[in-house]
Amino acid sequence: MNSISFNGVSVRVAVDTGDAPKTLLHRFSLELTERRIGVIGANGSGKSTFLRLFNGLVAPTDGTVLVHGRSTDSDVRRVRANVGFVFTDPLSQLVMPTGREDVELSLRRSVRNPKERTARAEAVLDRFGLLRVADQSIYELSGGERQLLALAAVLAVNPGVLVLDEPSTLLDLRNRELLRRTIAGLDQQVIMSTHDLDLVLDMDRVLVVEDGRIVFDGGAAEAVAHYRALCEGTAVELPVEGLPR
Amino acid sequence: MRGHGHLLAQHVPGSSLIHRTPLWLKFLVVAACGTASFLIVDWAVSLAVFIVMCGLFLLSGAGIKRLLGSLWMVTPILLAIGLFQWWQLGGPTAARIVLNVLVCVVAASMLTATTPVQDLLDGVVSLSKPFRRFGADPERFALTIAVMLRSIPFIAGAFADVRDSARARGLERNPRALVLPVFISTVAYARQTGDALAARGLGEADEAPLSQSRE
Repeated sequence: MNSISFNGVSVRVAVDTGDAPKTLLHRFSLELTERRIGVIGANGSGKSTFLRLFNGLVAPTDGTVLVHGRSTDSDVRRVRANVGFVFTDPLSQLVMPTGREDVELSLRRSVRNPKERTARAEAVLDRFGLLRVADQSIYELSGGERQLLALAAVLAVNPGVLVLDEPSTLLDLRNRELLRRTIAGLDQQVIMSTHDLDLVLDMDRVLVVEDGRIVFDGGAAEAVAHYRALCEGTAVELPVEGLPR
Repeated sequence: MRGHGHLLAQHVPGSSLIHRTPLWLKFLVVAACGTASFLIVDWAVSLAVFIVMCGLFLLSGAGIKRLLGSLWMVTPILLAIGLFQWWQLGGPTAARIVLNVLVCVVAASMLTATTPVQDLLDGVVSLSKPFRRFGADPERFALTIAVMLRSIPFIAGAFADVRDSARARGLERNPRALVLPVFISTVAYARQTGDALAARGLGEADEAPLSQSRE
């Protein structure tokens, strides 16, 4: 069952001032079956909160999230084993001093034999063209190499779903293209938020998030057009099928 | 991160005698240095041990730059401790305490410089296996060490960045402009690291999501 379903999900958080809870995501339901899904929206619109629902980094206040049939609430360990997550800033997720060590860290639980673990890590690094920088400090890598390394470390355990939170934000054009080609070649179901509208055009389905609401759900070109109109203040509010507003 | 703190905990590949020394022996040396710091009562002995440890460090081929970098990192705090102890207990005691801490720093740096992190983590896992019967998870012990090794250079680098920013604004003499940003970025880093570890399924404690959305 390769679908991800959100049933009546909303996310609210308490605020320090004692006022009413702040709604980060208003109630919505979705069924995601496509291989490439894009999420676009302004800063602070709720994209990251939405993405964090996929692997239980954020739990819904109401409703349920099922990833390939498993609940992110009651079966979070298995969900996380199946959902790889790549953050905007790779330095915040690379734990070890070098790339080789970081990929080996990912493999520690699944591959107990140190020699086999090293061989597996090298194979993963080689796949992403990172073997030549495997023993360099992660701080000495370029932005693109770091982002690819973060991707390699996550994909080392072969998750079924890959979630990327604005992975191209810190990259220059060349590295962005490299990332784009890499993502296009992956077998995993990919869910990616981004401000790069060219990158979004590669997606099978795109969601537009605005003020904690999914205001558009459809094809990439239409979604980009809607988002542009939204930014320019000329968007017409469209009813989105299956999404309570 | 502009600072070069990342070099402090990095493994330096090599085939020296220290590199080839079994991990358990290196662990033992570090533990012995820690214990000796409580037992040594003469500053001259502390100085001798310090010189021996520096000699061993240089024998590993990790280089004097790395050695000085490790020592430089703890200089501000040791300076404060040394001055306080000098005022309270006199020069010899202050020298002994500072030298004993430096011995521990050199021993720990030698261990991390000559041991690949994965070997270090495998060693920690082996050492902590007996605690399994009490419910401890050896892999989590190892992960804690890994995060600690990663955090030290991060904080050193953050301090270098903040110091440069403070200099650029003419605030290099304002302790608040130095300490507060480092503190805030360290807390933010800790949260990010927690999220990243959870997202990668590393160090999972229970089945509960990391951050519950609460009303």
